[in-house]
Amino acid sequence: MLSFIIKRIGLAAVITALAVTALFLIIHMIPGDPVSTMLGPRATPEMRTALEERMGLDRPLIVQIALFFGNMLRGDLGMDVFSNRPVTQIVLGQVPYTLGLILVSISWAAVLGVALGCYSAVNRNSLGDRLTGVLSVSVIAVPAFVVALYSLLVFAVKLQWFPAIGAGEAGNLGDQLHHLVLPSLAIGLSWVGYIARLVRASMLEVLGEGHIRTARAFGLPEGRVVFGYALRLAILPTVTVIGVGMGFLLSAAVFTEIVFSRPGLGKLVIDSITTRNYPVVMGSVLFSTLIFVVSTTLADIINAILDPRIRAGK
Amino acid sequence: MNRPTIAWTRVGLPRRSFLKGATALGGLATTGLMLPRAAHAAGGTLKTRTYADIRSMDPAFSQGVVDEEIQAAIYNKLIQYKPGREWGWELDAAAMVEQADDTHINFALRDDIGFTNGFGAMTAEDVKFSFERIIDDALESTNKPDWGPLDHVEVTGERTGTIVLKNAFQPLWSITLPYIAGNIVSKAAFESVGGKIDTQPVATSGPYLHAGWEPKQKTTLKRNPDWKGEAVAFDEIQIFHIDDEKAAEIAFEAGEIDFTRVSLDSVERLKSNPIQGATLDEYPSLYYVWVGMNLDNPKLANLKLRQAIQYAIDVPSIMAAAYFGAAEPSTGIIAPGLPGHRDASLTGVNADLEKAQALMAESGESGVSLAIDILNKSANVTAAQIIQANLAAIGITLEIRLHEGATFWELGSNEDLELVLNRFSMTPDPYYATSWFIAEQAGIWNWERFRNDEFDAIHLAAQSEADQAKRAEMYARAQDLMEESGAYKFLTHEATPVIYRNSVIPALRPDGLPLYRYFGAA
Amino acid sequence: MTDAGLQGPRSELGEILHHLVRDPLGLAGLIIVTVIVASAAFAPWIAPYDPIALNVPDRLQGPGGAHLLGTDQLGRDTFSRVIWGGRVALQVALPTIGGAIFFGLLLGMIAGYGPRWLDSLIVLLFDTVRSFPTVMFALAVVALVGPSLNTVIIVIMATSIPTYGRVVRTLTQSLREAEFISAERSLGASTARIMSVHILPNVLGPLVVLAAMDIPTVVGLEAGLSFLGMGVKPPTPSWGSLLNDGYNLIRNTPWLIVAGGMPLILTTIGFTFLGEALRDVVDPKLRGKGGK
Repeated sequence: MLSFIIKRIGLAAVITALAVTALFLIIHMIPGDPVSTMLGPRATPEMRTALEERMGLDRPLIVQIALFFGNMLRGDLGMDVFSNRPVTQIVLGQVPYTLGLILVSISWAAVLGVALGCYSAVNRNSLGDRLTGVLSVSVIAVPAFVVALYSLLVFAVKLQWFPAIGAGEAGNLGDQLHHLVLPSLAIGLSWVGYIARLVRASMLEVLGEGHIRTARAFGLPEGRVVFGYALRLAILPTVTVIGVGMGFLLSAAVFTEIVFSRPGLGKLVIDSITTRNYPVVMGSVLFSTLIFVVSTTLADIINAILDPRIRAGK
Repeated sequence: MNRPTIAWTRVGLPRRSFLKGATALGGLATTGLMLPRAAHAAGGTLKTRTYADIRSMDPAFSQGVVDEEIQAAIYNKLIQYKPGREWGWELDAAAMVEQADDTHINFALRDDIGFTNGFGAMTAEDVKFSFERIIDDALESTNKPDWGPLDHVEVTGERTGTIVLKNAFQPLWSITLPYIAGNIVSKAAFESVGGKIDTQPVATSGPYLHAGWEPKQKTTLKRNPDWKGEAVAFDEIQIFHIDDEKAAEIAFEAGEIDFTRVSLDSVERLKSNPIQGATLDEYPSLYYVWVGMNLDNPKLANLKLRQAIQYAIDVPSIMAAAYFGAAEPSTGIIAPGLPGHRDASLTGVNADLEKAQALMAESGESGVSLAIDILNKSANVTAAQIIQANLAAIGITLEIRLHEGATFWELGSNEDLELVLNRFSMTPDPYYATSWFIAEQAGIWNWERFRNDEFDAIHLAAQSEADQAKRAEMYARAQDLMEESGAYKFLTHEATPVIYRNSVIPALRPDGLPLYRYFGAA
Repeated sequence: MTDAGLQGPRSELGEILHHLVRDPLGLAGLIIVTVIVASAAFAPWIAPYDPIALNVPDRLQGPGGAHLLGTDQLGRDTFSRVIWGGRVALQVALPTIGGAIFFGLLLGMIAGYGPRWLDSLIVLLFDTVRSFPTVMFALAVVALVGPSLNTVIIVIMATSIPTYGRVVRTLTQSLREAEFISAERSLGASTARIMSVHILPNVLGPLVVLAAMDIPTVVGLEAGLSFLGMGVKPPTPSWGSLLNDGYNLIRNTPWLIVAGGMPLILTTIGFTFLGEALRDVVDPKLRGKGGK
């Protein structure tokens, strides 16, 4: 078990390192540089050279990468080109918005999805089951940004029930939640369908398994069988899928943050790419990658702990 | 708005009368005629909006209006822009300021301005430090050109001094002293932190204090309790960073902000469907938008071809579709209200298809295929598609190439550039406009690589020309030269529609930009 | 990928169709997909107007009258742009998925059949590519080479290869140990022969299902990038650029968003229904495993 976990974490580290290196290469091939964006129209060549030196842009790429890794391990991601604030601080300031958005989205989706999935599994082939089935499949692939645009149009612009922009006032939880409703609707919607189907499928599988049949044979009340035993097993794949789906959640969050002008990693990435603010691009993509890698790794490990079959298979 | 106009003169006045005016004003000011500006300085919070995050609170590294909106409220200058529909200035930290001769400007500071954090009273040494540091090469200030021919500042007393120029410089009164480069900082405070600052002011003196900055979210200003000048209207000003104008309008309607610029496509809707308790005001803008053609590109070497393009572009369609009828066609790079504005352009506003086709035939070119580079903004994309259709009518295929800011603003150095849809920001002096199109700027900001000796000579001479009528004539001629080269088709100066709640009395520059220190409460 | 489906014997295809039509979801999916593909294919005949012809005086009209879905800020007919936008969507989706299947097959079979170290290397590569949020990766690359349809195709293809590759790898691994393949091998069959004759036909079925389910993702991503102004060049109509115009003009007219979003929703629903039904027919064992 321990060796599996160590191996898995080692793999995660290698993936992160590869991803960061690849990103570094991509970014440094991008035309356009932060120096002209930063110095504005009236920079002299001398000023440009000085700034390039300060940012280390004049060093060989390999040295830049090595330096970046060295500093990264110390938690230092460099300085924002424009405001001269530490990138770590800037990115960490935005992470909670994105993580919060993702967490709220996936939570409501999971609660509703699990409920629908249970209902469908228990009332298999009923009208409700079929309806849930069709609805789940319908919403499953609808792009989050389309849902975001439609809900913006209907609930914010036309009906004015919810705010259209921003994340709400700092410190005012009610206001922040109010601002979260539409964005989390956009991100969570497709997951409701997805989770409902997943829970239904694995629930049916579990309900057919030996010990559940035994439990039933012993006359345990159906409710206890479903919620006490079957659901616990059936929820397993859901955990994995959410872990693996983190990439999709992050992508959806990028669009949603743009549509609702919310602060967050997505908006940070877009802003910093368009201004060629390399250190911030690196920092924010690094954090997104970390979020993804950590969540998949965790999902794998949790699954391995809960379900010994996976471990044996590896 | 019930404010005394004690320190007001038009930028456009001839120097002689201007000097008299300034001296008279100086006299007035020194007698201590400083009436309280807003009788209703009752307090409360002003919530407003800016379109970008701040870059620096150091005037030497200010990136323009976004930073200046805040700096103008927390720092003092000798003079400030005067709110209103016409360009002018009024005294701020100066009790007196006068132009002694072409190259000497005397000033006397008020004696009741002090810096925060215990950095003491504002002295002439602070003025000297603030102005001279900007032209100091070691500091690498991006705003050095604003100080033009500044030689040095002579300190003649604790609170008196003389600004010494190398040569006469008219824009001093319109874009140097009342704008970014005119902000006065504390010498002692700046030296205590190594000579420059980033986003956190170290000591300020203005009517508002910098109370906090949440990156990408907002800046908070608070009333400066030690401010001895005219009392300001608000206890607190919250400036929210909302880059998208649509988002800002929605926030305004939701009551989240009290003042914002609105997008041009909203003007019609807001006029026909006004928001309760709010006022929409339209201001002109100084920006200039044009289609440029790279004279160094062999594909565009044919003058007749360039002229055909000038006559093929239909500006009214662009105004209607890209600017929603809320902006007017322009005649050049100098907006109405500034000296040198032309009443009409040489190539007209409406497309002249016949003339364009005739020119095209004369040019002997056929099967022409060109590309236009644009910044990825919705108005540009729309305008470019109209230009694309206009040029198709005379047999030119036009490809539209979208850029983000970082790549777009580097195109100047690209020798292969063909057409470009460009938009420059502007300060209220024509000198600022012509400075980008001299030969020396070719390949830097003169993307058309337009080289004309007469133009360069005019640019040089006009900055020192004291006779305003003559100066205006010179700038008009400069724009004729640009247009005659066939490298420019001028489109518009855009517009600045703003909306504010009726509980607020906005104080705006003639181009609609806010001067927060003068905002009042109704 | 419809070509891939044709690989099987004629009767098998007929059987699949037969099953599809009997499944209400499958039938609905088939109809929606057919309508979308047909309207894209016959766009010049269906669209009432030239999708890029300007008519500034008639700009920003609501639906009804001369324009079924109204006009945009340049007076272009929105309905015509929606129809032509379908072409762009499919122009992106088909080569993207085709390419992703090709490279996925290649890498997946190498990983599944080749030596262990190669397998580990390829899997590591897949995991690395997957660890970038697609959109962020796409943004960086588009910034690198500039916006164009080809860029979009290559970016989405690169990020989808691991999805296909992983499935191929797993299937190949399980097939490799199958008895009939061991038998072939002991009879001296070449690797190439085993791959092309035995493994390829067996992995194609699940791949087709995967492709059908993947089309909505690809179409959505193209629209998303065009929405951010990083996809098609103007004046090319795309659902994403319609949405972008609509977003900019959301206070002036709701119709551009409605018109740009509808085909996207229909396409995703159509292909998902079709993919689901196909999966039930082709490989019932996969039920509940696909999707995200």
